[in-house]
Amino acid sequence: MKDRLLLLGYAVAVIAATAVHDPWWLAGGLLVAAALAGRQAPKIALRAMRAVVFFSLVVSLGYAASGVLGQAVSVDYLILVNIRVFLLIFLTFALAARIDFLRALNFSRSLTYLTTLALSQIITFRRLFEDLRLAAESRRLRRLALRQGYLQSAAAASHLFDRAEHDAREIALAMRARGFFPPQPGTDARGS
Amino acid sequence: MLEAVDVSHRFEDGTEALSGISLALQPAEKAVLLGANGTGKSTLLRILDGLIAPTLGEVRYAGRRVDRAALRDADFHQRFRREVVLLFQNPDAMLFNPTAYDEIAFGPRQLGLEDVDARVRHWAGLLGVTPLLGRAPFGLSGGEKQRVCLAALLVLEPRVLLLDEPTANMDPRSTGWLVDFLADVAQTTLVTTHNLSLAAELGTRCLVLGEGRRLVYDGPLQDFLGDHDRLVAANLVHRHRHRHGDAEHSHYHAHDWD
Repeated sequence: MKDRLLLLGYAVAVIAATAVHDPWWLAGGLLVAAALAGRQAPKIALRAMRAVVFFSLVVSLGYAASGVLGQAVSVDYLILVNIRVFLLIFLTFALAARIDFLRALNFSRSLTYLTTLALSQIITFRRLFEDLRLAAESRRLRRLALRQGYLQSAAAASHLFDRAEHDAREIALAMRARGFFPPQPGTDARGS
Repeated sequence: MLEAVDVSHRFEDGTEALSGISLALQPAEKAVLLGANGTGKSTLLRILDGLIAPTLGEVRYAGRRVDRAALRDADFHQRFRREVVLLFQNPDAMLFNPTAYDEIAFGPRQLGLEDVDARVRHWAGLLGVTPLLGRAPFGLSGGEKQRVCLAALLVLEPRVLLLDEPTANMDPRSTGWLVDFLADVAQTTLVTTHNLSLAAELGTRCLVLGEGRRLVYDGPLQDFLGDHDRLVAANLVHRHRHRHGDAEHSHYHAHDWD
């Protein structure tokens, strides 16, 4: 029940954060969220900062550049957008740190299946990502040139996408083999 | 040469991965690290390669402690990474260059060597991957990837080879080829496997990780393979039912199921 309430609270907070357009109210919301996160607040704030810094920088610089090109810009709007993005990410990380998603979603069997699959994939990919990172570290004899670094990252990303696609196909086949996705009228047994 | 001194490790979630491991590899020694799934073989190799810092204890190479401070020293870092190499169980993790040629040339290019092309072709020839040099690594078969990875490591002329389940992605023919190849290399090798018949071909010294994440045996491989009780305790043999016509019985086997 606690997990479901947390999820409900999160949904309400997200709706409120997107509906409110006053940066002071959003800043207040952020303080409340930090207070509710308790001792974990600094850690969550740091993670949220890392997650949004690139996005916020690009958006803010782009918006500022449009001002240089003659468009009307509003500093209030810039602050509003940045606080809102940070608040939403903070709320998401705070929720993820406290909630058991499987318990929160157990009112729906389909959502529970979906969550289980998503969590198992997250764990698989976390391990794979760690393998890629350590293998790259193991083969690095000195600081890589920028181009080599890009090539390495691109190859790793490509491998992750290929793996994700392959796993998605395998999971879909396994689910079909276990009776999911019953054929709809007008389709063959494979659902195509 | 390369040693672990009372190494213990816990993962971030608190799970114990290794407990009180001490071992020392001597020059040109051929050792096999045996253990059932989940006993910490891969973690130990990553610790020995300086990729994971152990929670307790230390790794030493050529008398120097291998830790973050040592690996920040550019000279030691380059020496260690060149002389101690790790073949990952998943070869895909190691391949990130556009062609197999670039993959093998990756190390020598970092070192700024002048004879990169000659080195690449030499090792590609030895590992039988010359016809693959122009191909993208991700399009190769599991066995081909493993050979390219091995060439990419051997081209550095390392002193210590750490191999994590090197035959896991190989078919029987490639496995046989690798066993023969490793028998002839001059380097110190530490190979992980839970395949007992393969272990007998890969080394003379045997280190066994038990299910308590401790080293339960360190000694001659043939002695361990002949010790039925230890094999059972280390979960390296299993028993199952056999049918011979109408008769049925069960006894222990090492079928080397990977």
